[in-house]
Amino acid sequence: MLIQFTLNNQPVAVEAPSDITLLALLRDHLRLTGSKEACEVGECGACSVILDGELVNSCLVAAPQVSGRSVITIEGVRAPDGGPNDMQQNFISYGAVQCGFCIPGMIMAGEALLLKNPQPTRQQIRVALAGNLCRCTGYQQIVDAIEATAKSRARQRA
Amino acid sequence: MPKYSFATAATVDEAVRLLNEPEVRSIPLGGGTDIFVALRVNPLWFDRLVDITHVPELHHIGVADGVVSIGAAVTFTQALESELLQGVAPFLACACENVGGPAIRNSGTLGGNVANAAACADSLPALVCLDAVVHLLSPAGERALPISEFVSGPHQTNIQPGELITHFSFAQPPAGARSAFIKIGRRRAQSISRLSIAAIGTTNAGGAIDYIRITPGAATPKTIRFTPVEDMLKGQPPTRELFVRAGEAMSAEMISVTGRRWSTPYKEIALKAITERVLAAIFLQEAQPC
Ligand code: FES
Ligand code: FES
Repeated sequence: MLIQFTLNNQPVAVEAPSDITLLALLRDHLRLTGSKEACEVGECGACSVILDGELVNSCLVAAPQVSGRSVITIEGVRAPDGGPNDMQQNFISYGAVQCGFCIPGMIMAGEALLLKNPQPTRQQIRVALAGNLCRCTGYQQIVDAIEATAKSRARQRA
Repeated sequence: MPKYSFATAATVDEAVRLLNEPEVRSIPLGGGTDIFVALRVNPLWFDRLVDITHVPELHHIGVADGVVSIGAAVTFTQALESELLQGVAPFLACACENVGGPAIRNSGTLGGNVANAAACADSLPALVCLDAVVHLLSPAGERALPISEFVSGPHQTNIQPGELITHFSFAQPPAGARSAFIKIGRRRAQSISRLSIAAIGTTNAGGAIDYIRITPGAATPKTIRFTPVEDMLKGQPPTRELFVRAGEAMSAEMISVTGRRWSTPYKEIALKAITERVLAAIFLQEAQPC
């Protein structure tokens, strides 16, 4: 079936089977492999994307369900020059990345949080990351990086 | 060949029509948070998914003539952020806040939570406390039944083929009612309830408990109000000592339903403890988890 939606602010139309998830649509049919495939049951958050402004697990969304809607994946999160944006830069400078596998999902969860709540407390950041597992970092640096991003964006807005 | 097809319903009537087309086994798709998990372990049980999340009425949360209604496609996030629900049934909003992580709450729906009817479904104890009614629609017309009859056991409901849950309704609790929900999981977030409890109550001018409903989750195969415990609390002044006895009575009641099982030594103590805590949160103004 033809699935038409907005992907990273660009219209796309893709012919795909009706029985796949959004994660499979992104990875196997659109070759966007930044969203990771891990548990595929909504436990780990590695596949996180932003659907109409809200964080979702793309492994639990039916691909045709995004018809007419807007999806942002990790490929759509970047600085205007194509390099890492401020949050991604902070992940690097705060040492929030080790193997990196969970990081696309962590960034999406962080960006989804700041869309809804631009100045979260540390506790709110932790709650926002509750569905994202990291086997390496211990989370502390990830929380630090998101907190620093929220603060610097607030300064820029001021 | 795809293993199943997909259709989107724009209206409730279209959803019901699609669900009842002969020779295509169709099931409603809400947030997908249970269906896509079940698909990995169960043989395919449908030919078509009917996406009902674009039907505006199914997202409605409102109150009219003292009756609150919540559409079946309302997500946990929509429910927990609803000012109406925070006002009339804070324990239901709190239960929704306890579901999964943010991504699961953004997708998962109350209709799906009830239709899937896991013994540990977080929304069930509060809905059962509220004596919520499940409203169903099929080509034969509307049908309504109390949630405690609708959910007949773990992963078992009385839904008939082709029926769609449209909404839930419940009478607005008495003014001044306080409510609380407590869940015990293996960790704070993204966990399956091992045991939970929802309660709502008020005291009268004389300080005695005059309205109380209490429902444990994941304690018995069918989520039900523990009315014998409600009866022992009614008319009594709320004291810690009373709540300790209520906790013992809750555990005894649970065991009278389930018998002694492998999990009983744990659940017996845990249910007693969360009963005391939930009652103290309501009547002694003790800090609540959310
Ligand atoms: S792969 Fe989707 S949550 Fe783990
Ligand atoms: S950096 Fe390795 S899983 Fe998070």
